[in-house]
This record gives sequence, C-alpha cells and structure tokens, in this order.
Amino acid sequence: MASSSLPGNPPSGLTDRSGSFFKLIDTFALEIGELKREMVQTSPTVDKEPMDLQGLESEVSGVYLQSLHCGGAGGERDSGYDSLRRRMSVLDRLTQTHPVWLLLAVSEEEASRILIKQPPGVFLVRKSAALQRKILSVRLKEDQSGTPISHFPVRESQYTFSLEESGISFADLFRLVAFYCISRDVLPFTLKVPEAIASAKTQKELEEVSQLGAGFWDSALCSQRRTSPRSCRPLSRTLSPQRTNRNREVEGSQQRLTGAHCDSAPPTLRSCATPPSFHLERRHSSGPLCFVNPLFLQTHRHHHRCEDDPPTNAVKSDNDLENAEKSSVKPLSSSQGSEQHVNKIKLNGKSRDPPPRPPPPRSMPRRRPAPPPPGPPVATTRPKSMPEAVAATRQQQSSSRRPAPARLLMGGKPSSPSITASSPISVPSNPPPPRPKKPDLEAHRCHIALDDETIAKALSRAKFPPCQPPPAVPADVLLKNNAGSPSTPKERGHQRLSDMSMSTSSSDSLEYSQSPGFSLGLAPSPSRHLNHQDPVEDSSDDDEDGDEDEDEDYGVSLETDLEMRHRPSFKARRRRVGVSLSGGSFILPRALKGRFRKVSGMLSSLMTPERRAVKRIAELSRDKSSYFGSLVQDYISFVQENRGCHTSGMDFLQTLRQFMTQMKAYLRQSSELDPPIESLIPEDQIDQVLEKAMHKCVLKPLKSVIEVALHDFQVSSGGLQQLRENLALAKTKRPQELGVDGAVPPDPLAIEKIRHKFLNMRKMYSPEKKVSLLLRVCKLIYTIMQDNSGRMYGADDFLPMLTYVLAQCDMPQLDTDIQYMMELLDPSLLQGEGGYYLTSAYGAMALIKNFQEEQAARVLSSEARNTLHQWHRRRTTQRSAPTVDDFQNYLRVALQEVNTGCTAKTLIVQPYTTTEEVCSLCAYKFKIPDPDTYALFLVIEETSQQLAPDTHPQRIKAELHSRPCAHIFHFVYRRVPNLNLCIPAIMHNGNSLQVE
Amino acid sequence: MAIRELKVCLLGDTGVGKSSIVCRFVQDRFEHNISPTIGASFLTKTVPSGNELHKFLIWDTAGQERFHSLAPMYYRGSAAAVIVYDITKLDSFQTLKKWVKELKEHGPEDIVVAIAGNKNDLGDIREVPMKEAKEFAESIAAIFIETSARNAVNVEELFQKISKQIPPLESPETESDESFKLSRQPAPSARRCC
Repeated sequence: MASSSLPGNPPSGLTDRSGSFFKLIDTFALEIGELKREMVQTSPTVDKEPMDLQGLESEVSGVYLQSLHCGGAGGERDSGYDSLRRRMSVLDRLTQTHPVWLLLAVSEEEASRILIKQPPGVFLVRKSAALQRKILSVRLKEDQSGTPISHFPVRESQYTFSLEESGISFADLFRLVAFYCISRDVLPFTLKVPEAIASAKTQKELEEVSQLGAGFWDSALCSQRRTSPRSCRPLSRTLSPQRTNRNREVEGSQQRLTGAHCDSAPPTLRSCATPPSFHLERRHSSGPLCFVNPLFLQTHRHHHRCEDDPPTNAVKSDNDLENAEKSSVKPLSSSQGSEQHVNKIKLNGKSRDPPPRPPPPRSMPRRRPAPPPPGPPVATTRPKSMPEAVAATRQQQSSSRRPAPARLLMGGKPSSPSITASSPISVPSNPPPPRPKKPDLEAHRCHIALDDETIAKALSRAKFPPCQPPPAVPADVLLKNNAGSPSTPKERGHQRLSDMSMSTSSSDSLEYSQSPGFSLGLAPSPSRHLNHQDPVEDSSDDDEDGDEDEDEDYGVSLETDLEMRHRPSFKARRRRVGVSLSGGSFILPRALKGRFRKVSGMLSSLMTPERRAVKRIAELSRDKSSYFGSLVQDYISFVQENRGCHTSGMDFLQTLRQFMTQMKAYLRQSSELDPPIESLIPEDQIDQVLEKAMHKCVLKPLKSVIEVALHDFQVSSGGLQQLRENLALAKTKRPQELGVDGAVPPDPLAIEKIRHKFLNMRKMYSPEKKVSLLLRVCKLIYTIMQDNSGRMYGADDFLPMLTYVLAQCDMPQLDTDIQYMMELLDPSLLQGEGGYYLTSAYGAMALIKNFQEEQAARVLSSEARNTLHQWHRRRTTQRSAPTVDDFQNYLRVALQEVNTGCTAKTLIVQPYTTTEEVCSLCAYKFKIPDPDTYALFLVIEETSQQLAPDTHPQRIKAELHSRPCAHIFHFVYRRVPNLNLCIPAIMHNGNSLQVE
Repeated sequence: MAIRELKVCLLGDTGVGKSSIVCRFVQDRFEHNISPTIGASFLTKTVPSGNELHKFLIWDTAGQERFHSLAPMYYRGSAAAVIVYDITKLDSFQTLKKWVKELKEHGPEDIVVAIAGNKNDLGDIREVPMKEAKEFAESIAAIFIETSARNAVNVEELFQKISKQIPPLESPETESDESFKLSRQPAPSARRCC
C-alpha cells in the first residue's frame, strides 16, 4: 500500500480556512477514493499487504519502543546504553545471568542442595526428566513447615509459558521469572534474585556472575554482596544493549501489570526508577511482554485510561519514527485514531513521566482547530519537508478535491488556522507527546468502512472544541522535544537523536522545525517525509525481518492460513483487526477501541518469541565466528560454487534437506544458542521454529541458486521440453477427457486467478509458505467445483480437476516448484493436508508429463511409478537422526599466490581426511601444476603454520571453534617458501595444535 | 492423553463410496468442529482409543484406473488402508483384490488393512455375497465390515476396529518387545495370501 497511499494526501491548497470539518470531509473523500482503488484491484492489494501489515505492526509495536533500533547489532553507542548501566531491570539481569539460574540439566536433588543455602525466594529453573517439564524451584521461608524447597511446574502452551495454576502467561521463561520477582501471583511470595545479581551495577558485573554458571552458587560471589567490577571481555552479542532495552521495556510493562492487578506487588516497583516503558520492540520481534488473558486486558485498559490522557508524556522513540515511516501517507485525520491508540499505549508504558495534564478527550484532539501556532517555525519547516510530500500529493490533488484542510502542511501557509492545533499547548507542558503517527492505510480503510451515520457523528464531534489539549502530538514535535529539550528523558532523547541522524535524511528538517511554535499542522509533512523514506530505512535496518514479513504476508495473510502447523495466522488476523479498528478510533467508542487495540497488540506480541528466536538463529548463522555460523556459511558457499556436483535436481534438494535437518539437530543439541531455545520457545514448538529458521538461513540465501540449478537439470534432462509439449497437448483437452466428471471446472477468469497464485507461490523460498499457497489454490478449485451444489467431492473428482487446472495454467516452471516443496518440506508435515495436496499436485503433474504415453497406455510408465516409490521411501527414512559429522564436512581453503592474490574454494573434507589428501584435492581444484611445492597452512591472525601431512584439518578446525576465544583463522594453500616439503609435525609457534 | 496421528488411506474403485464413508465418519457425532479442510479428499478426525487419542489423517485416492499409478504415493506411510468396494458391483470387489495384492507387494509392512463393503442399504441388488467377502478378508487377516455411508451404518465401527488394531505406543523400553509382539498378532494384515 505504501505506494498508493501517497496520493492520499490532502490537497495542498487548503490552508486557510478550513476547519477541521473540511479536513475531515476531505479525508473521507480521499479515503473513499483509496478504498475504491483498492477494491478494484484485488490482486495488487494482496501484494501490498505486507506493507499494510508493517504499518499496523509498527503502529502497535512501535509504540513502545523507546530505544530505538539500534539496529541489529551493536547498539551500544547511544545513550540507551548509559542508562542501562545506571539501571538494569530485573529482566535484564535475569536474561544476562541465565547460566546461573536456568539450569535445565540439574536434578531435583541438586537444585535442593543449591537452594537450601539460599535465602527464601531464591530460585532456579530446571527440567524434570520424569515430568519432561521445566520446573521453577524456589527456596521457601525457614519457618514454613514442610519442605524448604518448593517446585512449580511450568506449563508450556502453544505460544506461552506459565506456571501451573496461574492464568498469567508469558512469551518466554525470562519474562515469567521476571514477573514473579515482582508479583507472587500463585507463589507464596515473590522470587528473589541472588544478591550479586540484584545489586550488580554494570554489565560487567553481571557478566562475571554469568560466567560462573551453576558454579555461581558455590562461589564467593554468591555469598558476597557484590564484587568490584573486573575487567571483562566485550559484551557478548546477547548482552547487547538493544536487547536489554527491550527487556527493560518488557519489564516495565510487567510492572505495570503488576501494579494493576496484583496486590502482592511491592509498591515500590510500580514507580520504578527505570523507565518502565511498555514497548514492543520495533521489529515486533521482541515485543511482547507478557501476554495474559482477559484479566490482563481489563487492567491494562484501566491503566490506559488514567494514564494516557496526558498526552504529552510519551517519549518519542524510534518506534514512532518507524511508525511514521511505515505507515503510508495519509491525511492526518484518518490516522489520528490510531495515533491515539498508540499514544495510549505508550503512555501506559511510560509510567515514568507522569502526565501532568488533564486528560484530553482521546478522540479528537487533533482535529479541532487550534490557535494558530507561531508562524515562523512553520514556515521554515515547510520548505524542507515539503518537497516530497507535495510532489506526491500533487497529482492527487489535482483532481477535483476540495482544498485540503489546513492541517496538512501542504499548503504551506505558516500561520494558517489549520496549524492552530493544540500542539502548542501540549508541547510545552510536557515531555514529548506520544507519537506522531503516520497516517496509515488501515486507518483509511476503517474510516471508509464506517457507515454514514458514524461518519456524521464523527464529524459533529470533530467540531467540538477540544476540552483539553490534544493528546497526540506530531512526530515532529516529539522529535524536537527530545532533541532539544532537556526536560525529556535523556536517554530517550538521545536515542532519538541518534536515530534520526542515522536513519533519515529528513531529520534535518525535522529538527529544524523544532521550534517551539511547532504546530500540528506541520506534523503531516514530516510524517510524509518519513514515509517516503520508508522503504529505504526498512530495508536497511530491518532487513531480514522486513522480508520475512513480506513473505509471511504473502503466503499467509489472506484467507487460509495453513493450519499446517496448527499455527493460526496471527498476522492475518491481526491485520484484520487492525484494519477495522485502528483507524476508526476516533469514532469508535473509546473503550471498545482500546480493547481491540489491545487485542491486536496481543496477537502481535504472540508472534514475537518465535520471530525473535528465528532472528537470533539467523544472526548466528551469519556469524562466522560461531561454529553454527561457519557451518552454514561454508555450506552456502559450497553450494554456490559447486552447483554442478549433483546428479539431479532431486539429489541436490535432498542434500539441502539433509543439511537443514542436521543443523536443526545440531542447534537442539549444542549450547551455541544463548539463551537456550528451550527458555524462549515451548517444547512442542521448537522444531517448527528451528525449521523456519533454517529456511531463513539456508534456503533464503540459496533460493536463486536452487532455482537456476533445478531449471538447468530440467533442461538438460530433456524433461522441460517434454513437459512443455505435453502441457500444450493437455491444455487442448476438455475436462471430461482428463477424467472430470460432473464437477464444474474453473472458467478462464478463475484460471487466471489461479495462475496468479501460482506465480506468487514461486516467489516464496519457504517450502511451507509455498505449500500454503498451493493449498489456497486447491481451496479455490474446490470452491469452484462445489459451486453451491453442496456435494462433497472426494479425490475421484478432485484429482482430475487439479490435473485439468494445471494443464490450463500451462506453467512448466511449476514442476520444479513442486519438486522443491516435495523434497524440502519439513517431513513432519508430509502426512497432513499440505502433504496430501502436494502429493496430488505432484501426481497431477506427473500425469501431465507423461500425457502422451498415458493416452496410449492409460497408465503411467513404470519409470514414473518407481520414482514415486522412491520418493516416499526417501522422505520417510530421512527422519532418522542425523549425525553431526555429515555437515561438518566443508572446509574453506584459500589459494594464495604471489602474483594473483587469494582465491578461495569450499571443499568437501571429511573429518578424517588428512592434510596430505586435502593438499592433493587443492592441487586438483586450483589446478596447480606443481603441487609438490605447495602445502596447507593454518593462518591465525598474524601467525601461520604449515600443517603436517598426517594432521586432520577438520579436527583442527573443530578444535579452533571450540576455543573460548575465537580467533579468526584461515586455511591457506600456498607455495612453501623453502621447498622443505616434509615437515614432520606441525610447527609450533605460539599455539600448539596437536590435535591428534 | 497423547495424540497420535495416523495416516489412513482409502482405496477402491471410483464410485464405491470412499468419500461418502469418510464424510460420514468425519461429520457424524463427536467433534463437530471438523477441522476445516480444503475439500473432502483429505479429512481428519480424532477419536479416543484406550489411553490415546487417534487422529486419523484420511487420504482419499482417486479410484479411476488412470490414477492407479499414483496410489503408492498416497498409501506410503499409512498406518492403515481402507479398501472399499460396492456390494452391488462385482467388479469393484475384483478391484479390491488387486489393491490387496498391491499393498502386499508395495505397501508398508505393518499396515492395517480394512475391507469395507459399502452400500449395504442396497441389499436387494447385491452382487457380492457377504460370506464370500468375509472369507476373503479372513484369509488375509483383514478387518471386514459392511457399511452404509448413506444410513450411517457401521462407519464409526469401521474406524473403531482400525483403532483397536493400531499397536499402542511402545512406552517404556522394557516392555517394548512384548507389546510389539502382541500388537502384531492381530494385524498380520494383507500379507501372504492371495
């Protein structure tokens, strides 16, 4: 939608008079236009969906985040980090020190032994082998009779963790524990974090504790109050500020929650010093805090009510920015609703800036005309921010729209009434107001959806003068405030700045406009600006997540969501909710609105643990200093360089599948994931999450390579040609000739639609998503077949129809796609509906491929039959446990030549392959004429050593990987300087690498 | 209770009522929340069986001769196969025998085979005597039952019988040997005859 949204801007002419009324009208007109446009082209809409979703998501999630994205990795640079140091939330502390208390391998006895020496409330989490569940073991008070240690089983439902008997669920274990440190809920009292962890002042201290792992409990640290910081290594990735921030946020929300509904929560916690912000992370990947049920909702809402009114206190964050960017451009008015929502949420989150002012009516704040703001600022701002927006709007505007309401900067008059907005008021008084929201499509839609009456009401409401200052402040304002005014929370302010500088070109203009007089009228322009940049930003910092979203939306967003993995498409649902509600906020009863909003927020938060885990694994896979990362990267480069080493497409796909399965097994068994995936994802979901992660780490980067390779095989085997011919022949057949009997075949229009769906299917890299799209096609065929007849058609009718449809679609490329799915789909899905229809599609394709013969013999060639047999056998035997050995067999070796520099190749090297063998392989691969003068060297940083012929490079590599401090190393094949060919043993210089 | 997913494959001539039997089974009684599926060629239903829940993943196959060659893909990995014939069509019973043979040769080793003579509400135009069919079934140690999908006769029973023949999950390792043997006995299935 992003693209189409541009046109939605209100006409620039508007400026002067206009009251909000006109603006509104205008907005509606625009929206309706937009709606029409959308309705007309359905398919495009689908395509656009991802954007919408993002908008929505950002709206929801963006709200919370304060510490902006520092992007992926290192966010330590900004002030968020400082603040972290000063104050770390319980969740931060817990997350960073999980090696201490998350002891899944520890037995009950051992747990009791550890805890008995601890004060009441101290706990650890272990896993009971007998129950196959995680257990929270807690030290009870001395005076309590009975056992000194109590054990609380953790229940893992599909998406959440909770204590037995408690109705409160959490996205992961850390949040659960953090919550119980604050509120006892079903526990006898709140949990207590060990003193050394609770009192740690710096990351270093925490890290120190963390490094002790289970040994902490017996260490001096444990008994000591706190230790002086030692020098430490750089923070590990997992400890990065970004994450902490997020955590903190979560915690904040939890605290809030606590305050609201748990009396047990210590009062002090409520107003915690740390800014408890309740934010979702900007990429939703981490957002959720705790997701509870209706009860939570209720309280939550309450909170909102009281708190959110004060519009101002929200701190600006990236999220806002993000929101702005993401949402499509649209008249402000429409977006208000959602903004408000956001505001609300935000406010809640940030209990820390208490809102001084009386709550303004949530609903219409922005609309009403406000006193004209100081002119100058406006004027200045405009020029800068305007250009893009204006351009965008222009075309639209040219159409007969009535002059747009002043509030949009379009017109550019400085002091126009429109500008009057309340901003002046709100801004000065408080800290930055809640977010600037960008108009978003959803809002548009909702508006449109409302009936006339509602609209009328809204209009009339809009006319009312606001009783209070409008809650929402434009993003600009916020930005400015943060940047300029000391009054704003420092950290956030800082971050904001940094964000701005890094992210958008428009930042300048934004700052510029910062002047006090900032009026609402201006707001739109900046937001537009942001929107404009959206794509760029997104892609740059959100990169992966971004596309992931896309994919997901693509595959799943609409109708059917494949239950394949019983995983409801939250996205789709969420999106719907968002669409219908978010925008309409100003019209809907507030309460209702709030509720919906929350619901959608919760849904989105549900997505997070999984996405977070996937993201983490994906990051790890790119980190070549990790073992997992090097395996994946080596494999990927091997595949890229050695496409030709497979005998057939199927063979190729099988090795891919095998690799993914093995890597999944490795991830489950190894401890490379930190924190362990079991603490983030309920047991029964882990496999799916890993599968998804593998798709992302392996299939995604290789998608184009695979496509090309499959196509090549198809061409070289002559299969493509045969398929083409037979498809052409089959296409001429009537449904009856293909066995269709009675059911209604799709008309050309429907065929076109199906083709389109197939084309979309081809764009996916995830086999699951492809299958889900295939299922949509099947669903559509079924719908057409049944055509109100009420008859239930079984396979006797469906398979011929599917064959007919495939013939009509005439897409030879589908063959490789089906092959891709058949071979790569998670084996656990093969027996379900996805597997069934995939099998049917494969069968139908096979029939078509052999159409001519089939015509003659009426049966498939025995060859085809055998292929099918083999396929199933393979796919079912594949489930046997993979061994780690198989996938370690890649070794990247660089050839270093004096003249030409370095070239590298990835070789298959078995663990027991000797250096001598590797050398001869290298000689062959690099085409070295005089291999005797070459040898294999291990280069670690500055040092280099020649490897003896009888050493095993893979084992050396494994050993290097297992060292605590990873050095960068390379295997280099190069000429031996002194022709001293036979060096008996590894030369020891510095590191001894005697592996044998 | 643990849920076990059991793949069940439906074989038989076209028109004998394979789909009707499944639809009847899935839609009647019990869970009215039939999992929303795409079409009637793949349906699921969960029924309790002993200490377990059996979730039947029912794969319908196309009965026309031209699709016969695809059947292996459908029955591979099945825990059970239901071969359906129409008691009013002798031909369909002959086809059934072919299916039994094929399963014996290419099917999963321990597949449970059930033979269902459908349309027993049309007894007056019966072509396949119940006795003959029953004896055939016994000779191959298959489950036998006559059903009427139209009148909902014996459909539930058919699947119950299958459930009973599915070996329980071997729980503790120690017992596995024994339970394995025990479970195998009743379902020697379609091996070695005909």
